[in-house]
Amino acid sequence: MNKKPELLAPAGNLEKLKFAIHYGADAVYIGGKQFGLRSKAGNFSFEDMREGVEFANKYGAKVYVAANIIAHNENLEGAKEYFKNLYEIGIAAVIVADPALVQACREAAPNLEVHISTQASIVNWRTVQFWKEEGIPRVVLAREVSMEEIKEIKEKVDIELETFVHGAMCISYSGRCVLSNHMTARDANRGGCAQSCRWKYDLFEDGLDGAVAVTEAAEETYTMSSKDLSMVEHMPDLIESGVDSLKIEGRMKSIHYVATVVNVYRKIIDTYYEDPQNYQLKQEWVDEIWKAAQRSLTTAFYYEEPTEQAQLFGKPDKIPKYDFAGLVLDYDESTQIATIQQRNSFSIGDEIEFFGPNFYHFKQKITDIWDEKGQAIEMAKHPMMIVKIKVEQPVKYYDMMRKNK
Amino acid sequence: MDTSYRPELITTARDMEELKQLANIGADALTVGHQHYGLRVAGDFSLFDIKEAVQFLHASNKKLYVLTNAIFHNERLETLPAYLQELDKLQVDGIICGDPSIFPILNEMDLNLSIHWNPETLSTNYETLNYWHSKGISRAVLSNELSIEAIKEIKNKLSIPVEIQVHGMTCIFQSKRKLVSNYYNYIGDSSGVDGKQLHLKQFKEADSHYPIFEDCNGTHIMSNEDLCMMEFLQDIFLAEIDCVRINGMYKSRDYQEKIVSLYRTAIDTWISDQDKFNQLTETWKHQIIQIQPDERKLDTGFYYKEQIY
Repeated sequence: MNKKPELLAPAGNLEKLKFAIHYGADAVYIGGKQFGLRSKAGNFSFEDMREGVEFANKYGAKVYVAANIIAHNENLEGAKEYFKNLYEIGIAAVIVADPALVQACREAAPNLEVHISTQASIVNWRTVQFWKEEGIPRVVLAREVSMEEIKEIKEKVDIELETFVHGAMCISYSGRCVLSNHMTARDANRGGCAQSCRWKYDLFEDGLDGAVAVTEAAEETYTMSSKDLSMVEHMPDLIESGVDSLKIEGRMKSIHYVATVVNVYRKIIDTYYEDPQNYQLKQEWVDEIWKAAQRSLTTAFYYEEPTEQAQLFGKPDKIPKYDFAGLVLDYDESTQIATIQQRNSFSIGDEIEFFGPNFYHFKQKITDIWDEKGQAIEMAKHPMMIVKIKVEQPVKYYDMMRKNK
Repeated sequence: MDTSYRPELITTARDMEELKQLANIGADALTVGHQHYGLRVAGDFSLFDIKEAVQFLHASNKKLYVLTNAIFHNERLETLPAYLQELDKLQVDGIICGDPSIFPILNEMDLNLSIHWNPETLSTNYETLNYWHSKGISRAVLSNELSIEAIKEIKNKLSIPVEIQVHGMTCIFQSKRKLVSNYYNYIGDSSGVDGKQLHLKQFKEADSHYPIFEDCNGTHIMSNEDLCMMEFLQDIFLAEIDCVRINGMYKSRDYQEKIVSLYRTAIDTWISDQDKFNQLTETWKHQIIQIQPDERKLDTGFYYKEQIY
């Protein structure tokens, strides 16, 4: 049996990093203030990184930094110093797409591991072989690579492979799309992507008598929006393919999203490894994934060339929406009262669900809320206010409370 | 100034007839290929055609470059070495590549094909191009999303020839998915995409015209504007950019011939008489405007445009 793959989660900021790790990620990837593709994510200062690494160390988890822009001349400055700092902070690896940054990292921090990003569109074993021969220990495969192709790559090249298991995806080959550059002058390969692929277009057939709009007669306009990837129902296949790291997309996603998705994949991987022969997918894992889903889901390229079924057309499917209502700070066993930090308003009578690491779950109705002075209140309406509520089962710090929107 | 500067004029050819015609009109080099190995070829050339093209071009001291820049999945790699072997035997003057798989393959086969590096959007700085130079490339084909200033800096810091596009449409998107077929399937239109010429109009951008097509490499979207650097060739020539390329995709043969002949004239005039060149660029630009299809605007791409991120 293959070595247990790493579960790699996104962390847009320090708080998300802590949740991702506490909920079971073996490693997280973050962005710094430079060289990353998510200019709108919170992103980490060196100070935050230090704290993140310290937190991760306590759990035996790793922190990777994405420095995956395709650099222009003026972006090269400061790269060496940046990588040197990352190494000194204790970052375990950097995820890089541009060879200029690979070189900068090697010169400045030869012991800092370099992983080649999915932005480099690595889709075949020869390209993987090239990077292996360059001394790269791990590549992140393009999302276009199928399960069969992964197996072949793994057979032919002795290198760590990282693939996406969950999250949003480009409809183009990542890195090979400059729609955003051309339509909005925002450089997609340096973090400015305007997601132009998800916009609406008219499609015309050009003929001798001029152009005819195909979209005019159709009920649906032309668009190129991909459903989100989810391999939740097919994890044994991925594990058996020999992939070394299973990556969840989403540095821009919420804490609720990260904790929920990590929790599910952690549970699945651990369950599979306990007894692979008798492993069975549980509906509750799939249901749980849908509580964090933002779009319909697809297995994308893993089993077949994606058809129109893998794209978002027409009215969006109804997906239940949940809010992160509160974070458990403390619990008093003798009184069964939990201390909660409010994250979204909730009131007496609300149906809520508590969940925590190791797939801990229970639902209840809110019966009592007390404010910090011990006064009974109807509603916890102020962001981050501390309240106490009666809970029906034990909870602990880091457990989360969600509520239907 | 180094008076020996003579930029190479490169253009695409859709078939043998056009290849010969454009070479006769004044192209120094022609780019061809087959969609199985190359991206966005103007027309499919078989190895047999390539043989004929090499013989024809070499007879008049001109060059043939073959597109082998597809994003190869494992299966495509199976026949690639044999194809490269043939190209080597036919003595093509260069192959245009964009996937690092080419390096271990050529090393193992011990072939000496000249690699023109063109990963399109992925090589946008001089350090990266110097890195690929150290891996064996002999020409840097620059991304279309670079400014003239960036191109000059790259040219100064690189010791291999630099190529840029000066005219025609550029690719702005490639997906492995069959996005137009998927759409037709979704709306229940069974007529399919075969043989159709298609374009997209972006809702928020009036009169926009983005050609879109499918082939065995997936779906490709081309730029809304046709690049036209005629009026600004001086910037390119003063920087001594080694090779300038015209993309003839989606254009009539007549248009393509006229464009190649105008750029030929411009280069020759620059070399012989720069004052005359400066006087005539506007006239040449006007001649382009006269044959430019109505639906295709001309612009200068990213050469003078700032990008934000």
